[in-house]
Amino acid sequence: MSTKTVKLALILFVAAGVSAATLSMIYSVTKPKIDEFKVVTLQANLREVLQGAVEFPVIIPDTLWRGIDSAGVAVGIAFKVFPKGYGGPIETLVGVRNDTTVAGIIIASPAEGMRETPGLGLKVREDWFRDQFREKKKEKLFLKKDGGELDAITAATISSRAVVNGVREGIEKYAQQLVEEEE
Amino acid sequence: MKYFINGILRENPVLVLMLGLCPTLAVSGTLRDAVGMGVAVIFVLLGSNLVISLIRKGVPSQLRIPVFIIVISTFVTIIDYTMQAYQPELYKMLGVFVPLIVVNCIILARAEAFASKHSVSLSILDALGIGIGFVLAIGAMGFVRELLGNGSIVGRIVLGESFHQNPVLFMVLPPGAFLVIAFLMAAMRKWRTS
Repeated sequence: MSTKTVKLALILFVAAGVSAATLSMIYSVTKPKIDEFKVVTLQANLREVLQGAVEFPVIIPDTLWRGIDSAGVAVGIAFKVFPKGYGGPIETLVGVRNDTTVAGIIIASPAEGMRETPGLGLKVREDWFRDQFREKKKEKLFLKKDGGELDAITAATISSRAVVNGVREGIEKYAQQLVEEEE
Repeated sequence: MKYFINGILRENPVLVLMLGLCPTLAVSGTLRDAVGMGVAVIFVLLGSNLVISLIRKGVPSQLRIPVFIIVISTFVTIIDYTMQAYQPELYKMLGVFVPLIVVNCIILARAEAFASKHSVSLSILDALGIGIGFVLAIGAMGFVRELLGNGSIVGRIVLGESFHQNPVLFMVLPPGAFLVIAFLMAAMRKWRTS
């Protein structure tokens, strides 16, 4: 092995080392901030999908929460579902009241790993689409073309249907949590 | 100044050098996405041109490309983390584009063709010029495609409600991107040759 080869390898080694050191430093500085922001965002999102509730004890970590209002009464549940859309799972946070009506939904942003097509499937995040779910029970949670009451997004039926079905199946899956509350 | 203007017009990265076509076609469905991608590219381009110009004398020529790639990917990751930690709102909009920048060949091309041969200050000017050139090109794409494909500009409906309900949907789909970029390139070529 010539000295030249060794020298090149060393330089590359140093370059990679400097890069790794810089990144680990940046990571350790930013990680707490990023985590803190995630917690704050989740609390804000929970409050938005289940308005009235102020405390959210965890039932299943990262998946299911109970919503307690300021008087200490359980008003409903919030859960996350990941229906498969056009580009991958669509992370959806759903709030459901005790009477099984949907209180609100929030859909993760592309920065949080949601991969629907910009301009098409990504429109499931728009207010008009999300607001359609409010006050609806699971029997009505189908797209109009599937016999329900919800408008699909033009040219993005797969994404629209994924969210609608995901919300409905989530309610079916977690509704027992509501029944337990009423007892 | 020459280097700055150069990147915007005579060597516009997208419309003349034909670099970075992949993100230009993919992320120009709406004006907001397009500008977001452009701004993220400017950040990375500035950082990588600066560092590569600084270390250009210490890097043997055989190692240029691997070292440049290390520098670029390091910068992309730094920007990704920093934005996430300190500008979470901005990150919500740009976050999805940041990892895509690693594969944007404009950055590597400028490192190789310019920053590795010029001083720090010229490299910064070059990065700004090329970056702005990229924003203008991808922004023009986003403008046309959103206007015709959704009847809106940055989400605001401008061509009337009936057009918004029934737009030229084709424009926000991939074929529309090819069509628009072809027209932009043709216009640029006409302007340059005249």
